[in-house]
Amino acid sequence: MGSRTDILNKIKANKPDKLALPTIDPYIFNEDLDLVKEFTKKVEVVGGNVYPISSLDEVTLKINTLLPNTHSNFSTLENTTGFNTISMDVIKRPHELEDLDVLVLQSGLAVSENGSIWVEDSVLPMRILPFITKHLVFVIDERSIVPYMHQAYEKINDFNFGVFISGPSKTADIEQSLVIGAHGALSLSVFLLK
Amino acid sequence: MSHPKLASIFNKDEQKVNWHDKALWFVRHKRDLSVHQVKGWETLRELGHNIKAHTLSNLDNYLVEFETNALKNGIQVHWAANAKEHNTIVHQILEEHGAKKVVKSKSMLTEECHLNPYLEDRGIEVIDTDLGERIVQLAKEPPSHIVLPAIHKNRHEVDKLFQEHLHTKPCDGDPQYLTQEARKHLREKFINADAAITGVNFAIAETGGFVVCTNEGNADMGTHLAPIHIACMGFEKLIPKQEHLGVFLRLLARSATGQPITTYSSHFKRPMNGNKMHIVIVDNGRAEQLGRPDFRKSLHCIRCGACMNTCPIYRRSGGHSYDATIPGPIGSILSPGKDLTKHSSLPFASTLCGSCSDVCPVKIDIHSQLYKWRQIITKETKQPFVKKKSMVFMGKLFSKPKQFERIGKIGRWALRSLPQSMINAKPNVWGKSRDLPKGPKQSFDEWYRNRMKKSQ
Repeated sequence: MGSRTDILNKIKANKPDKLALPTIDPYIFNEDLDLVKEFTKKVEVVGGNVYPISSLDEVTLKINTLLPNTHSNFSTLENTTGFNTISMDVIKRPHELEDLDVLVLQSGLAVSENGSIWVEDSVLPMRILPFITKHLVFVIDERSIVPYMHQAYEKINDFNFGVFISGPSKTADIEQSLVIGAHGALSLSVFLLK
Repeated sequence: MSHPKLASIFNKDEQKVNWHDKALWFVRHKRDLSVHQVKGWETLRELGHNIKAHTLSNLDNYLVEFETNALKNGIQVHWAANAKEHNTIVHQILEEHGAKKVVKSKSMLTEECHLNPYLEDRGIEVIDTDLGERIVQLAKEPPSHIVLPAIHKNRHEVDKLFQEHLHTKPCDGDPQYLTQEARKHLREKFINADAAITGVNFAIAETGGFVVCTNEGNADMGTHLAPIHIACMGFEKLIPKQEHLGVFLRLLARSATGQPITTYSSHFKRPMNGNKMHIVIVDNGRAEQLGRPDFRKSLHCIRCGACMNTCPIYRRSGGHSYDATIPGPIGSILSPGKDLTKHSSLPFASTLCGSCSDVCPVKIDIHSQLYKWRQIITKETKQPFVKKKSMVFMGKLFSKPKQFERIGKIGRWALRSLPQSMINAKPNVWGKSRDLPKGPKQSFDEWYRNRMKKSQ
């Protein structure tokens, strides 16, 4: 336990009189934006691409045109057995996913104000997947886009691990010049289902 | 060394200073463009401020709530009163598991505690995995900015460093190539790591979980591959509820770099099956700062770096001139609370223009606190003889209007009539690398009186 009691006592003695906790009224921020348009714009701003689709059947075909000649593919979508080159049942350590080229994930929550997409481990066979893959593809239903982070958190329930992902990984640590593809995905595509 | 002395070292390379100044101002500009797009931005800042203020006023209870929930989630919770205890705890966890290779994502707290040298002395390899942090680690330097750790280095310096340490080819500082090589080099480190250490951006009392934000994905590459995750947090990182993340994640990246959100905002709540997750809650002077009514708001800080990017002094003196873990305006109000004598020059490294307070996403009154630290420092630490005497002299001068008027007249005449060589002579520090304006014929007082006469 170490210094637990000492720290807590010191805080108790030093803290100010209790102040009120404000309530968040998300209505204040509302702009009535076109969610799909705003989401698409923001995904592009953060370095990703959005492709509208009208049926899930288009997904694998489209990936094959966008990212041809990939060797290691994995998708959590139903009916993509032809696409998957690896099976999660035989993967014992996350490290074995090092050469994964394409990962396709479905998400039920996206945020228009920042182009981010929520993924939690209920849809992730392994946590490392969206980070270790070279190319990340999300399939999202248009109706799962919410305007702001406030609405997003209203929709998030219990999870063990979850992440908002906004665009491919990036860095500007060398002279402030933006380079896409730091440690995580080198590209991010969003297939938006009408 | 004091801030002015270290700043003058940085100022020797004028071209570099100009680049540094412009690069940071550009980031500030991106912040402006981004926040102006958010409807209700000021309300958002107000919320951020008030949520933090409330949290601090009930912090002990929230910490206990956080601990209870974290334990329920299977996270082990540790408490450290100071840097030494923090380092000992981290080392013990690593030793228990026989971990020899550690990857670390950005954590200003572990910088503050000097964790790296502590672990290295005990035979543990610690690799900083944020690109900027890896660059300064290879250069054996501390970060000079909390969000852009290597902003003081140009691409050619990075090129040279990488050639030496990562055996890259000379590339005339091509950022694309250098980043790719760093990715390869660090990928190998991630794959072979025994443990991952991260900082914490926000810890949530209600859920017992915590959030780590990165753009590179380095925190996630580390934590989801290694069997042990140790997250280190200063206790002020706590927020009451998950819904409050909606406020802070909207504020953080926009204020930091102008992005609408960081690429990855990772929410850790329970460890993976078979893996271990530890949280170290650190005080290290924070409880004391909480007890200072004038300065406790400094604990609202969410470490976005906006006050650095906007500060005219920081931009022109560089992060290293502050000789503190957190440089810039926010560092200058945090550091004196830790060591008043060592950091006594920092609150003076400001024009008190207030730009830092204007951009702060959680509305910390940074410039007022800088002013308040000055009052304390002047009373409690030894002041240079010349400064002390001249303050007494100026005090006397300003106290008698007639006398002030007379000396003003002489001063204005001198600025108009004396040769440049005399005006810019050594004893006049205001004339150092700067041309002084021509003294006006009239004082403000005279101008105002004339104006009143005319209007009558």
